[in-house]
Amino acid sequence: MTARLKPRLGCAARAAVLVVLVAACRRAPVEPCPSPLVAGIAAQQAAPVARPSPFDSAFAAAGAEFHVPPALLKAIGWVETRWQMVEGAEEFPGRAPAFGVMALRDTALVRGAARSGVTLEAARRDPAANIRAAAALLDALAGEAAIDRSRIEQWSTVIARYSGIERSDGQAAYRREVDRALGAAPPDLARGAAPAPTACQPPPGSGGAPDYPPGVWRPSPNFNARPTDSTGRTHVLIIHTCESNYASCWSWLLNPVSQASVHYVVNEDGSEISQLVRERDRAWHIAAAYDCTLNRRHDCWLNGVQSNDFTVGIEHAGFASQGAFPASQLEASAALACDVTRDRGIPRDWQHVVGHGQLQPANRTDPGPNWPWIAYLHRVQALCGEIVVDDSARFNDSTLAAAAVPAAWPASDTTPDYYGGGYRWAATQPDATDGAAFSFRLAASVSRTLDARWTSGTNRSAQAAYAVITAAGDTLAVVLVDQTSGGGFWRALGTWTFPAGWNRIVLLRRGAPGSVVVADAVRVRE
Amino acid sequence: MPHCNVAFVIALASLVISACGRHEPPEIARRSPAAAGVSAPQDTTFAGTMAPVQRPPSHPGATPRILRSVDVASAPGYDRVVFEFAGDSVPGYHVEYTTKPVRRCGSGDPVSVAGAGKLVVRLEPAQAHDERGNPTPVERERALGLPTVKEMKLVCDFEGQVEWVLGVGAAGPYRVLDSAGPGGPARVVVDIRHGP
Repeated sequence: MTARLKPRLGCAARAAVLVVLVAACRRAPVEPCPSPLVAGIAAQQAAPVARPSPFDSAFAAAGAEFHVPPALLKAIGWVETRWQMVEGAEEFPGRAPAFGVMALRDTALVRGAARSGVTLEAARRDPAANIRAAAALLDALAGEAAIDRSRIEQWSTVIARYSGIERSDGQAAYRREVDRALGAAPPDLARGAAPAPTACQPPPGSGGAPDYPPGVWRPSPNFNARPTDSTGRTHVLIIHTCESNYASCWSWLLNPVSQASVHYVVNEDGSEISQLVRERDRAWHIAAAYDCTLNRRHDCWLNGVQSNDFTVGIEHAGFASQGAFPASQLEASAALACDVTRDRGIPRDWQHVVGHGQLQPANRTDPGPNWPWIAYLHRVQALCGEIVVDDSARFNDSTLAAAAVPAAWPASDTTPDYYGGGYRWAATQPDATDGAAFSFRLAASVSRTLDARWTSGTNRSAQAAYAVITAAGDTLAVVLVDQTSGGGFWRALGTWTFPAGWNRIVLLRRGAPGSVVVADAVRVRE
Repeated sequence: MPHCNVAFVIALASLVISACGRHEPPEIARRSPAAAGVSAPQDTTFAGTMAPVQRPPSHPGATPRILRSVDVASAPGYDRVVFEFAGDSVPGYHVEYTTKPVRRCGSGDPVSVAGAGKLVVRLEPAQAHDERGNPTPVERERALGLPTVKEMKLVCDFEGQVEWVLGVGAAGPYRVLDSAGPGGPARVVVDIRHGP
C-alpha cells in the first residue's frame, strides 16, 4: 500500500507547497510573504520535515494507512508541538486542551480516535496512536471536503479545518506555518527536482511592520499614548512568553476585549514576527508599577510609574515553563531586540533588557527560568556590532571577551547601575603596578570605538587611567577619566585601529593615594 | 442579561432554573447553587476563612484551561460564584481579599468595583478566550446585586492568567471548592457568606 500511494501523493504534495504558499499570500493581503530577512533566518536551517524526528516511522505508517502525506503529518506535528508529547493533566473523557504530538483537542481527539480504532487514552498518551488518530481525522476531513488527494493543493482546506481556527487570517497563518515546516522539498513526497522556494511575492502596498519592516503589521486597538514627560521615555525592553501558540497569542491581543497587547510577538521558530503596537505608543503588556529594587536599584526615580509607560514588550510564542527555547526563535528575537534597542537608544544590559516576571514577581514568571539571558543578550549585542567585556567571566562571551582582575580588588554591588552583576574596585597607590585587564578578540584588523563604564562616587579617582594595548603589545593610548561622576553609562574613551587577535584595555591602579578606581565593564563597538 | 436584572434568591433545594429561562445568556447564568455547582452543600453556615486560599496548578507546564462560563447564585447564608472550565480539570487558583488597588494586567489601569471589599480570584494557567481569539465568556463585567456580591469584573486574561475581582458589600468569610471528574464539567466554586 505504501508503495502504491507514495508516487501519487509525492507529486501532489510537491505541488501543494507552491500552491499553499501562493494561496496564503493571495488570501491574506495583510500577511505578506516572509521578508528577505526573515526568510533568510528560516533558510539558514533545513525545513523541519527534512530533519529526523522521534516519530518518523509513525508518521510514515499512519500516512500510508490513511492516505495522508506523511510529510504533512510531520509538518503539522512540528507546528503544533515541535514533536513533543503534550500531556493533559487528567485522564477522563471530555474536552481537554490538547494532547500528544498532534495536539488533538475536544471532538477532534474523539473523532480521530474512533476512526483509527484506538482508545481515547491511547490517543492522548501514546505517540503512535496519537499520530494515527490525527491521520484518521485528516482522512475524514479530506473525505468531507471531497478533495482530490492527487491534487494536493486541495489539502490546504483540510489543513485549515484541522487547525480549528475560524479567522481567515489565522487560518492563513497556520497554513503558512505548515508550509514552512514542509519546506521546499518534502523528502517523503518530492520526486525529482525541488520546486523553487520563492513562490510568492509580497503583495504591493501591504507593507511591513512600521518599526520593524521584516515583521507583519497586525495593528491592535489596545494601546494609548505614553506620558509626554520623562517618565514616558522608552528605555526598557520587556521579554515575555505568550503561554500559548503564536496565532492564538496575536489573535487574542488584537481583540479589544482582551484589554492587553504587546509591541511584538515572535513565533515559535522565529520565522515570523508580528508587530501589534507602534513602539512610540504605550502597549498593555505589564501590569506592575515600577519598583527599582526588582531591577538592580536602577532608575529609582521611576518608582511607582506604570511600567507600560516606558517599556517596549516582546512576546514569544511558548511557555515560561518550557525547558528550552528554539535557537531560531531566540535568533529572530535577538535581531528584533537589536533593532528596538538601536532605534530607541536602549542600553543592551541587564537593567534595560529584563523579564516580565522580574518586574512583576507577584504573579508572573515569564519568560521563565530557562530563558538564556546571558547568551541572548550577547547575541543582541553581537547583532548590533558590539562586544562587552564585564569584570566577571559569568557575563562574558568567552570566545570574544575576557577580564583579568587582580584577586586583591574587592567585588561590590553597592552603587547601582553597574554592568552585569557588580563591579571590582581598588584603592589607588602611587607605586602600584597592577591593573584590571579587559580583553576582546577581533577576527581582523579593524577600527573600533571603546567605551568604559564605572559606578561613580565622591571617593572615586578623578584621573582613572585606562591603557589601550593591542594584541601586538603596543600601547596606543592612556586615557584618563573622572570616575567621580558619569557612572552607570558608557563613556567613550576613543577610536583606534586594532590588529586581529586579543586586544585589551587595562584600568590602572596607579595614582595619587586616597581614592579608588572602579573596574566595571568595557564596550567595543563599530 | 436584560431579562434578569433583579437578583434572585433561590432556595438550595430548588432545581428551578427557569426564572431566567432560555433568555439567559450562556456565559453567565444565575441559578441555584445546587444547579450551579459541585455537589450541593448542605451546610449553610460554613465557617469559611478570611485568609488567602490557593491550590497550585496540577503540574508545572500544564496547558491553560479555558474558562467557559461563570455562574452566580444566592443561597440562604451565602452567595456562590462558579467558574466552569472546558475539559475535565481545573487550573490552579489563588483567592484572597485585597485592599490594594486592582489593576488590569495588561494596561495597569486601576479597576473599581462596587462594594466595600474586593475578593480577587486568580486562575492559572487559564484563559477566558478560545484559540480563535474570541472571548469565552463574552460578558466580562457584571453588576450582580446579590446580597453580598455586588459586582464582578474580569481584570486579566493574558499570558495564561485569568483574574476576576468580586466586589462584595462586606468582606465576609469565604470558601473555595473545586471539582473535576469524569462526565462533569470542571469547576472552581467560591462561596461568600452573607454579612450579619
